[in-house]
Order: sequence, then C-alpha cells, then structure tokens
Amino acid sequence: MSTIVQLVLAVGDRVSLSEASALTALARDSGVAAIRLADTPDTLDPTVTASHLAGVHSGIGFVAEVPTTHHAPYNTARRVSSLDRATGGRAGIALLAGDGDEVSDATAPDPAAADPARRWSEYAGVLTRLWESFPRQALIGDQEAALVVREELIRPVGHDGVYYRVAGPLDGPSSAQGRPVVVADLGVLDPAAVAESADVVVVEHAAGADDALTEALRAVGRDRREVTLLGRVPVGSPADVLAWVHEHRLDGVELVPAGGAAEVAAVLRAWATEAAPPPTLRAALGLRAEVAA
Amino acid sequence: MLHLNVNILNAGVFGGSWRFPGTDGTASYTIEHYTSIAKKAEEAKLDAVFLADGPALDPGIKHRTGNNFEPTTVLARIAARTERIGLIGTLSSSYNDPVELARRLGDLDHVSGGRFGWNVVTTAGPVAARNFGRDGEIDHAVRYQRAAWFTQQVVAAWASRTRFASPQGRPVVVQAGGSSDGRRLASRVAEVVFSADQDLEHARAFRAEIRAGAVQFGRDPAEIVVLPGLSTVVGSTETEAKRRRELLDELLPDAYGRGRLAAQLGISLDGLRDDEPIPAGLLVEPDEAGGSQTFYRVVKEIIDRENPTLGTLLKRLSGGGGHRIVTGTPEQIADDIETWYRAGAADGFNVMPDVLPSGFDDFADHVVPELRRRGLFRTDYDGTTLRAHLGLGLPALEGAA
Ligand SMILES: Cc1cc2nc3c(=O)[nH]c(=O)nc-3n(C[C@H](O)[C@H](O)[C@H](O)COP(=O)(O)O)c2cc1C
Repeated sequence: MSTIVQLVLAVGDRVSLSEASALTALARDSGVAAIRLADTPDTLDPTVTASHLAGVHSGIGFVAEVPTTHHAPYNTARRVSSLDRATGGRAGIALLAGDGDEVSDATAPDPAAADPARRWSEYAGVLTRLWESFPRQALIGDQEAALVVREELIRPVGHDGVYYRVAGPLDGPSSAQGRPVVVADLGVLDPAAVAESADVVVVEHAAGADDALTEALRAVGRDRREVTLLGRVPVGSPADVLAWVHEHRLDGVELVPAGGAAEVAAVLRAWATEAAPPPTLRAALGLRAEVAA
Repeated sequence: MLHLNVNILNAGVFGGSWRFPGTDGTASYTIEHYTSIAKKAEEAKLDAVFLADGPALDPGIKHRTGNNFEPTTVLARIAARTERIGLIGTLSSSYNDPVELARRLGDLDHVSGGRFGWNVVTTAGPVAARNFGRDGEIDHAVRYQRAAWFTQQVVAAWASRTRFASPQGRPVVVQAGGSSDGRRLASRVAEVVFSADQDLEHARAFRAEIRAGAVQFGRDPAEIVVLPGLSTVVGSTETEAKRRRELLDELLPDAYGRGRLAAQLGISLDGLRDDEPIPAGLLVEPDEAGGSQTFYRVVKEIIDRENPTLGTLLKRLSGGGGHRIVTGTPEQIADDIETWYRAGAADGFNVMPDVLPSGFDDFADHVVPELRRRGLFRTDYDGTTLRAHLGLGLPALEGAA
C-alpha cells in the first residue's frame, strides 16, 4: 500500500479561504487523502469551512477538528453526518479531547467527572453509535405504500453514561461510507482511550506507537489493520519522512506545513503522486470500504 | 418592496408532497436538492432561502420525509454555489452552546460574504430534549427566558468580533414563535419575524403589536420585517390548481396527518373517526399549551370557528401544520400576496411550496414575474448582503445605548 497523506490547513490563519480553495484542488490532484481543518481561535469554523470547500471541489476528503468543549455530542453527530452525506462519504472528524458544553453540563449524569480522556472515549462512542442508528438501507421512500423508512431498522442509542445521556436516533441516514471517519490524536489521549472508536490515530512520537496501538486494539477485540496510523510531521524531504514512516511501521503521514499558501503548495508538489481519487474517505485512508452502518 | 424567501422544507410543506407524481420521493436526502433550489431562488432574485430545523428525528418519519441535514453545513455549501441569495438557518437557542454557535454562525456569515441570517427558535418537544440529557421538554417560559439570554450572548459575541468581519456587519436575527413570550422576544431582538397566520386582520394586529413592542425597546419599527409562512399550490388554471390540491390531500398519509395533529394539540385522536368533530372540550387556552403555542392557536381557531370533522381538518391542514395555504393561478396568488402586503399584514412571505422542487419552479417561473409586473418585487438585487436585500441597517447593540 502506498503512503497515505493527510494535509493540515489552518484556514483563516495561515491561509485564506480562497487560498485554501486553490490548495484543495492541488491536494486532490496530488493524491492527498484528506484535508484536516485545524480548529484554533484564529481559524474559521472547520465544519463550515469543510462544507464550503467541498461545495467547490469534489474528490478529496475533509476532516474537521471539533473539540468536545462547547459541543454537545448530538449536535456534532448531526453536523458531521450532514457533511459526510453532502460529500458523498468523504468526511471525518478529528475529535479533540476537552471539556463539556453548556447544554450537556446542565444535565451531566456525574457533574464531578472531568477527565478529558474518559470524556473523549464516551463522546466518540456516542458519535459512532448515533452514526449507525439510522442505516441508509432503512430509507426506502416507497411512494406507493406511503412508507418513507423501514422503521424497524432505525434504533435509538439510549446512551446513559458518566458525561452524557443521549437518546437518539440520528435524524438522517448513514452515508456512502457508512459513517464518518474518527481521527484521534495521541497525547492527551493514550491508545487505550481511543481503541474502541478511532479509525485513524495520529502520533507525533512514532517510536513504539505501532506496538502500543496493536496491543490496545487487541484488548478491545479489534485488529490493527482496522486502524490507520499516521505520523504527524512539520514537513521535510519526502525521502527522509518516508524512511521514518517505514521504520516505525506507520501507514502514512499527517503533514503540517508551518508557512503560508506558497509553502503548502511547494510541499504538495514535492509529495505529489498520481492516483485516481478513491470513492470514499475510508477507502482513501486504506480502511475497509464500509463500516457496519 | 415585498420580501420573499423560499422555505426548503424537505420535499414540500404538504404531508403527501414526497409522494407527488413525478417527484423523486427521497431527493430531500441529497444535498443537490437544496443547492439546486437555492440556485433557482437566486435566479428569481428572492431575498433568501430558509431552512427549518430541529435536533431530533421526527416521530412521523415512517410516513413523511423529514428535515435531515444540519443547516450550517447545507448553507455553507449553498454559499459556495451561489453569489447573492441570502441564507437563513434555524438554530436552536435551547440546545446549543452560545459560545460555539456565535463563532460558527459568525464564520458562516463571513464565508458567505455577509448573506447569513439566524432564525432563533426555542425547540419544543420531548424528542429533542432526550437527545440532550433531559427526560422531557423544557417548560415553555423557561425556554423563552433562555432564548433572550442566549440571543444577547450571541449578538454581543458577534459585535466584538474583529478577526473575521462580515460585509453586513453581523448576521441578521430572525425569530419564529408567536406566543406572547415569543412576541416579546421578537420585539426585543428580531429583525425578521417568521409568523404563522390564517387571518388577515389577525396578521395585521400581530405585525402592529411587534412593531409597537419594538418601539418600547427603543427600536425603529421600520427595521423589522414580518414574513408569514405562505403555502402555495400553483396551477395554470384555477381548475388545475384545485386538482393539484385535491391530489395532495389524497396523497397525505393518514397516519402522518393524525399523528402530527395529535402531537400539535397534545391530545390523543385514537378512536376518533374521520366523520366526527374534534372534541373542543379537550382543548386548553393557547397560553397554557406546551410545544408551540402559535400553531396550537392557529389550529384551535379553525376548530372554534368551523367545528370541522377530523377528516375535514386533516384535509384543511394537509400535514402542513397550520400555515395558510393559497391555491390558484399565478394571478390569484399574486392578488392574495398583494392584498396582504398592501393591508399591512405582511412585509412579504416565507413561501412554502406544496411540493419541491416542482411547486417552487412554478412559483418562481409564474408568480414572481406576475409580482414584478405589478411593481411589487425587485427585478435585480441592489446589494450583495442579506441586510441589503431586506433593506435593514446594522442595529445598535441591545443594552449598549
Ligand atoms: C412560523 C414558525 C416557525 C418555526 N420554526 C421552527 C423550527 O424550524 N424549528 C424549531 O425548533 N422551532 C420552530 N418554531 C418554534 C417552535 O414552534 C417552538 O415550539 C417554540 O417553542 C414555539 O414557540 P411559540 O409557543 O411561541 O409558538 C417555529 C415557530 C413558528 C411560529
């Protein structure tokens, strides 16, 4: 398998929206699997930006950073699912560990609980189950029989945890790739915290990451091949980075260019490969074509 | 000048819309449905597209297609595919975090070049509540207290935003919810009011009340645009329009119509036959209702006035919930619009086509040109922002005076 590339853009900060649009086209033509939209106080909202860029350019995936802080899980699930369907199954979320939100805090089952890693695990689990709660096979639109859905296939999630209570189901059907891709950054999070829900794991310290992830996945009954492991690098010569990827048995890289649009464009040209765009983000990331939903 | 939005209510306002002959029943589950209607609305020079929303799966989903895309993602995409049309999205004050919402909506306004409007609603119902940790609906008065606080937070956050400025200063605040609490909120914060009314005199009084209330809050009443919902059934002849309406009534899934009416009135209709009248004794005064008092009132007034059988009432509403329905030729519909507009009952309408996209195509191709011939509607956009289309300036910050 060739090396998977995910490109991080800070839109509104280091690159403007119109520059990001041009870079999106270049990234797609360079064989980049996904653009990850950074969420900082100086960037535009990543879900809005992703939706806008996807309205201009197709054929590339978008991963929106969304922190748990200020976002109730049901709202996040809906929004990212909308993006996923609107892009024909090319969306994901990089869920950032953090605090709660004003709406959920008012009803938090355990108001004292405040561990970001545990919150992340619970939150990510709620997302994935909501995304599977309305399988697209349930949508039949039988005009003759006056039946929109096969209701028996739609299931509430009935989540009752430590941080959240969420009934579900989601209001829309799953996408062409089943559900959006979940990206997890190791750091605040350890492999055990992300093992159940992550589709993609991003590390800065690559040494030992493959073993640790393999072990954590096995503990929850998953196989290492179900998850894509990316190494985060500021950029460097592709040959050096690829050697590093190979040495640590990573599946690919997350490129984080430090400069403006011109530098990002130069990085993309250095990394360009010729590949037809895969049909979904999941496929582009080397994941199984479709998950349960 | 008259203002017109198109309300892209999934497959159309009628409960049987998704079953209409020649209609792709599940098109409203694709994003292209929304972008192509928005493009058509821009060609017709409408003020804005409007999206209703609620964070829950509609319990009536089995028999009627529902809203199923989150509005900011849809509108960000429409913004990428259009240049001028305004973009109004409904986002709940009950189930969002004000810090997050202010940022996201402000950014959407920036990304769209100043075309965004936020429809503030107080989300009703136990189904949405359960998606946010609650066992049931938040009390009506509490929802409105929160809405006032919430809107103030969001507007203040927009006003202090310098990083991503918008050509229209900040998003337009739209409000929907016509209970007494809702009217007070409208007078205080709304620049556009989306209302529901069957009766011209009532609508006139409603608009006058909102405007008078605005004066009490130190606002200029000319800076408020009141847009009742208007469901349209267009035909090239009167007979054709009536036939279209009758067909829609036939296509209304009975279980959907009953379920929606029961939920709206908060009573059970089980066991009630179509030829029996609605038992008026079960109904409370609108101010004591939960859910939406506006739609409760609209339906109760029909019951009080006409004492309809269940079957007649279901047909009358046709799964649309209570917005006024006009059925006729383009000239007849233009007459109706002109009458309400000239009477001071409306500054324009939130148009809710019977079936999408066909009902909107007919409206844009035939009713809009007729309104233009009468000098009631623009032939081209004057400005590039939603504020410009609506003729609204940038209001002072509430409480800043
Ligand atoms: C014309 C109109 C449109 C509305 N649209 C929505 C909507 O899209 N989503 C929502 O959650 N509430 C919407 N609401 C408000 C809800 O009905 C909500 O129940 C509110 O609490 C009712 O307020 P009311 O009692 O003042 O009518 C709308 C209200 C009106 C009058």
